[in-house]
Amino acid sequence: MSEPLIRVRDLTRDYRLMDKREGVMGGFVDLLRPRWRTLRAVEDVCFDIDPGEMVGYIGANGAGKSTTIKMLTGILTPTGGQVTVGGMVPWKQRRQYTRHIGAVFGQRTQLWWDLAVVESFRLLQKIYEVDDATYTRQMEIFDDLLGVNEFLHQPVRKLSLGQRMRCDLAAALLHRPRILFLDEPTIGLDVVAKENVRLFLKEIRDRDGVTVILTTHDLGDIEQLCDRVIIIDKGRVHYDGELDDLRQRTGHRVRLTVDLREPTTVAALEAAVSGLPVTWDQEEGLRHVAEFRRQDVAGAEVIKRLVNACPVSDLRLAEPDIEEIVREIYRDAKNGATAVSTNDGAAS
Amino acid sequence: MTALAHVLEPWHRSARATAGLYGHFIRLAFLKYLAYRLRYYTGVISYTIFVSGYYYLYTALFESRVPGPDGVATMGGLTVQEMVTYIAVGWIGRSFYFNNIARELMHQIQEGQIAMQLVKPFDVQAVMTFEAAGESAFRLLMFTLPISVVIVPLFGINLPEDPALLGWTVVSFILSLMVYSQINFLTGCLAFYMKNISGVLRAKMVSADFLNGLLIPFSFFPEWFQTAVGFLPFQAVGYIPVTIYLGKRPGNELWIALGIQAAWAVGLYLAGRVVWKRSVRTVIVQGG
Repeated sequence: MSEPLIRVRDLTRDYRLMDKREGVMGGFVDLLRPRWRTLRAVEDVCFDIDPGEMVGYIGANGAGKSTTIKMLTGILTPTGGQVTVGGMVPWKQRRQYTRHIGAVFGQRTQLWWDLAVVESFRLLQKIYEVDDATYTRQMEIFDDLLGVNEFLHQPVRKLSLGQRMRCDLAAALLHRPRILFLDEPTIGLDVVAKENVRLFLKEIRDRDGVTVILTTHDLGDIEQLCDRVIIIDKGRVHYDGELDDLRQRTGHRVRLTVDLREPTTVAALEAAVSGLPVTWDQEEGLRHVAEFRRQDVAGAEVIKRLVNACPVSDLRLAEPDIEEIVREIYRDAKNGATAVSTNDGAAS
Repeated sequence: MTALAHVLEPWHRSARATAGLYGHFIRLAFLKYLAYRLRYYTGVISYTIFVSGYYYLYTALFESRVPGPDGVATMGGLTVQEMVTYIAVGWIGRSFYFNNIARELMHQIQEGQIAMQLVKPFDVQAVMTFEAAGESAFRLLMFTLPISVVIVPLFGINLPEDPALLGWTVVSFILSLMVYSQINFLTGCLAFYMKNISGVLRAKMVSADFLNGLLIPFSFFPEWFQTAVGFLPFQAVGYIPVTIYLGKRPGNELWIALGIQAAWAVGLYLAGRVVWKRSVRTVIVQGG
């Protein structure tokens, strides 16, 4: 068994927030006696990642994804726990460590805003000490896969979001990092641009064997890129395993969309499939949705009974997508973090 | 892939590569400001207006002054010619050493863009210092030279009696740039702890111009004030180079003055290192 590249143990991070009081008087009181609250954004997170793995790190807004990524990239110091990546502690050996990683934060750019794109690449070449041969080769690859040459001489501020993202990805990979952190790399991109980014990432993984950790809200990214997913909710790991297992575990819920020719009550539909474990939901007007588990009921059985009993005009049977599976996993969790303690007054 | 797939190898940047890298930042900053050169053309106008204002103010003040026993009117030990030179050289110098890295650092911290700097294997403080140097190189060419061409003949500014003093003034202004960029770096770090430091930055800019001696020479003020200002880094930014130009630092005093500037530059750089390290370790980078 080989050693993991990334080793995370009991990783915990607290934030201290001020609870604001209401009103003008409250504002003055806050100045004198602030109320602090500790928010645990990440709690006892453990996982190992092997070299060459491509892992999807997913969760709702505020679940602790970005906080984890920040600690893994060395930007943030944890409150507790350990991280070692290839024998280094990211936040302690930041300059040694960041030489080996690449990072793309979808909402920000690492390119120099006012300068032509090529200036940023030339600077990155110096920062990472990339030799000329490697530089040329990498730039050829980026042009092949992302078509970056097209806008290499334009200032970054004039690029479209899709173009900028392509450049940012190339910039993160110029020095052939061992690990690539992607924080929502497809955010705000249109379908074609998303597809380009995904194809590029697949190609780079196969070519360089780079280890990738990816956070996203777009489960299309996960389905196409990752074999393994880690689901985090309220700062804790809820699931860590193969994507296929996740599908199995949630038991293949199937949605049957039924369009009727004339209004029918839900009761009538229920009666039509009585005795079968099917739940009904009226979507709009003549459209109803039935949900059932494939292992409990055969789709054909439900359809046969419905068609016989009700004025059905159209039927559609859909497999669940990952999004729904994940939604199920963190259905009860609306807010990201749990308050662990409140201490009133004690200003420091 | 390497044989040890689970190990990241240590590395070292040679002195030569380090110099190359930070030199590159000077170049990039120069290019960046070239894109905004229009801003500096307007600067030439506003600085000329400032200096004109002070020129008329001080000449009016001197006219109402009773001449001394030698027939020359002085204020705070300066003749009217020295006074005008003081103001003009002060502003010409400011057009060179001034920079906005405090504001830039504040924006980067507020918007979380600083994260993109922290995931790179370089020293952020050194990068900002060299960018400031690049900005000043640009200012020298596009701002300081044009403004000198306008102001020097317009107000009849004389060269120092000893031409070597001109050289020492240039050296002194380069040290001013170092001190000023470190003051700015430290002020910018406040953004780690406060939501909005625009007010602090304004206050800093105004008080710096005052404590620099740029607006009013220190010799106008009471003794205790001059002593107090002597303990602040601001006089090492604006006051020292101008007094060197005027020949007010004879003999060893010149070396002491330059030494004070160098000491502030080094001291503030080290203080910046400590504050930066601490801030990055303890403070949360916003957003992302």
